[in-house]
Amino acid sequence: MAILSVGAETISLDGGRKSRGNLTKARIRWVIAILAIVFAVVMGRLIQLGSVVTDSTIEGRERDVITATRPAILDRNGLELAVDIRVPSMFAEPRRIIDVDEATEAILTVLPTLNRDWLRKRLTGEKGFVWIKREMTPAQRDRIFALGIPGLDFVTESKRFYPSGKEASHIMGAVNIDNQGIAGIEKHMDNEDVALLQSLGLARGNELAPVDLSIDLRVQHIMYEQLLDSMTRYQAVASAAAMVDIRTGEIISMVSLPDFDPNNPSSAFEPVNGKKDQRFNRITSGIFELGSTFKTITIAGALDSGLVKMTDTFDARFGIRFGRFTIDDFHGKHRVLSLPEVYKYSSNIGTIRIMQQWGKDNFRDFLTKLGMDKRMPFELPEMRDPVVPTKWPEIVAATASFGHGLSVSPLHQLMAYAAFVNDGCLLPPTLYKRSEAQSKPLCTTIISPKTSAQIRYLMRLNALEGSGTRMNKAAAGYRAGGKTGTAEKVVNGAYSSGLNLNVFTSAFPLDNPRYALIVLVDEPKRENEQSGVTAGWNAGEVTGRIIARAAPLLGVGPDFSEMVDASIVPVELR
Amino acid sequence: MIRMLNIILFCTTLAALVGVYGLKYDVEDIASEKTALERKIDRQTGELSLLKADWSYLNQPAHVGPIVARHQEALALLPTSQEQFGRMDNLPMRPAAPDTAALDALLNSLDAGIDPIEQLIEAN
Repeated sequence: MAILSVGAETISLDGGRKSRGNLTKARIRWVIAILAIVFAVVMGRLIQLGSVVTDSTIEGRERDVITATRPAILDRNGLELAVDIRVPSMFAEPRRIIDVDEATEAILTVLPTLNRDWLRKRLTGEKGFVWIKREMTPAQRDRIFALGIPGLDFVTESKRFYPSGKEASHIMGAVNIDNQGIAGIEKHMDNEDVALLQSLGLARGNELAPVDLSIDLRVQHIMYEQLLDSMTRYQAVASAAAMVDIRTGEIISMVSLPDFDPNNPSSAFEPVNGKKDQRFNRITSGIFELGSTFKTITIAGALDSGLVKMTDTFDARFGIRFGRFTIDDFHGKHRVLSLPEVYKYSSNIGTIRIMQQWGKDNFRDFLTKLGMDKRMPFELPEMRDPVVPTKWPEIVAATASFGHGLSVSPLHQLMAYAAFVNDGCLLPPTLYKRSEAQSKPLCTTIISPKTSAQIRYLMRLNALEGSGTRMNKAAAGYRAGGKTGTAEKVVNGAYSSGLNLNVFTSAFPLDNPRYALIVLVDEPKRENEQSGVTAGWNAGEVTGRIIARAAPLLGVGPDFSEMVDASIVPVELR
Repeated sequence: MIRMLNIILFCTTLAALVGVYGLKYDVEDIASEKTALERKIDRQTGELSLLKADWSYLNQPAHVGPIVARHQEALALLPTSQEQFGRMDNLPMRPAAPDTAALDALLNSLDAGIDPIEQLIEAN
């Protein structure tokens, strides 16, 4: 046998175990490779999952808008005028409700005002979410839970609550059920920042900084109380008042009656004595012929132009004729009057002569300078354009000089008076807190400080000797002064002699003025047999009472010395 | 040697397993605690907002005013009138104090019988 021959190649054969071992090694290598790939994939997925940023907002935009919070609104001293409260809102999941009738009956025991058929229709079906009642009280929520009906649940919403109730209603405005402002400063705030924040989803749950208003709630309350009283005392159809800080243009308080309850915004549409649309803000969105209070504006412009002097006299003996019409004085003196006497006796003829001596075009330009051609720049969205004629013939200028034939809002006139007593600086009014330093650059100079001193004297003279004496009696010691206006209202195209809009625009304390006020009383009647219906008897007295109560709170002390009044008299008249 | 390695790796795996699952349950516990705390904070913030609103409502002048009016007899609170205010500069200065020593001397001398008018006449 030549199997093992010399020099032949060695044939090696692996044994059974070894060859199985080789195969196994190869298989092991394959398995390891596959496992490595699997683990690499798992690792990669872990890293990918680890780098994902989770979205922490609740599903959908709807929830964000529902629970959007609004910043608290505070008055200038930190008292709350509007706050957010968390209230439960009830919703149902009809697909989870087992017995619709039982659920309906049970819910109606807690909420009897709901309509039975409407509720039953809401609860039937397969939907996942229906509102039943929004903004309930926590007590009602606990009672619903106690019923033990499946498929009912609550979500916490923010509701706007106005602790001051009706007192600052026109200023605050209102919000709708989704906490979006629909009127007043709430709507203004929305137009500015809050809407942007809410749309970015940043307002939810965040502490928004509270908003400081310029309103002083104590003065607002005093004004509100006095106006409510005036509505019953004089049986007026409406009343309104506003007070402004003349150095900064901040509105200290603003009231307009009849008003509404901001906690119940639908009350704004309730009719008053059968008449609709009466609950508007008469200070900003009401335009009226303000009557004799306009004479201050005429005289201020005339004095400032230098064409009329304090020592001038004017012939008020006879009425003035313009074609068919004759303008005469109400209880006129019918003699030659000096300028202070024209103001004191509120002579229409005298005022027309002053305006004519000044020049009717100068008068029209002065009204433009005062901003009476357009709306006042103000935060409240409810404003109206004044109606001041652009065609300015003699008769229109003459009637405009004593406040008829042109309609402006009381806010226009209030800011004009504020400018007259603060040395001639016309400021835009504001509802936000604003310091004097911030207000100075916003000044528009309309009269000189010398004219301002003369106007202050005239206003004080009217309080001491003219139609403002009733106001001065109530506000004794606070050196208040102002001008009355008893304007006949236009009814069916003609002036009605029975219906008046009584206005009193004032400022105090006139030796160093700080605040200006305007009070309107619409269609007042006599308080008693001895009183009258002219503005001094109603708007004037209301002003006096408001000043008497509010002045100490505002830091104005009473001063009874005669030197104070003597110091207001300008040099040329001493 | 390989056996030792195997045993060590096996024990490490066991330990890692226990550790990871323990960590996971720990984290879940903490997360649920956190959620419970957040919900508690939310609820208390909500209650706080209601209480704050109640407090500010009770402090409103429109709420306090009628209460004062109702209890007028007991409280006797009235609005301050202008005459009730005063200023510091309206207070008069303290009058000069009397010279008690001179007065005493004068009275003593009168008691002793000395006539001051006579003395004045003599001095002149």
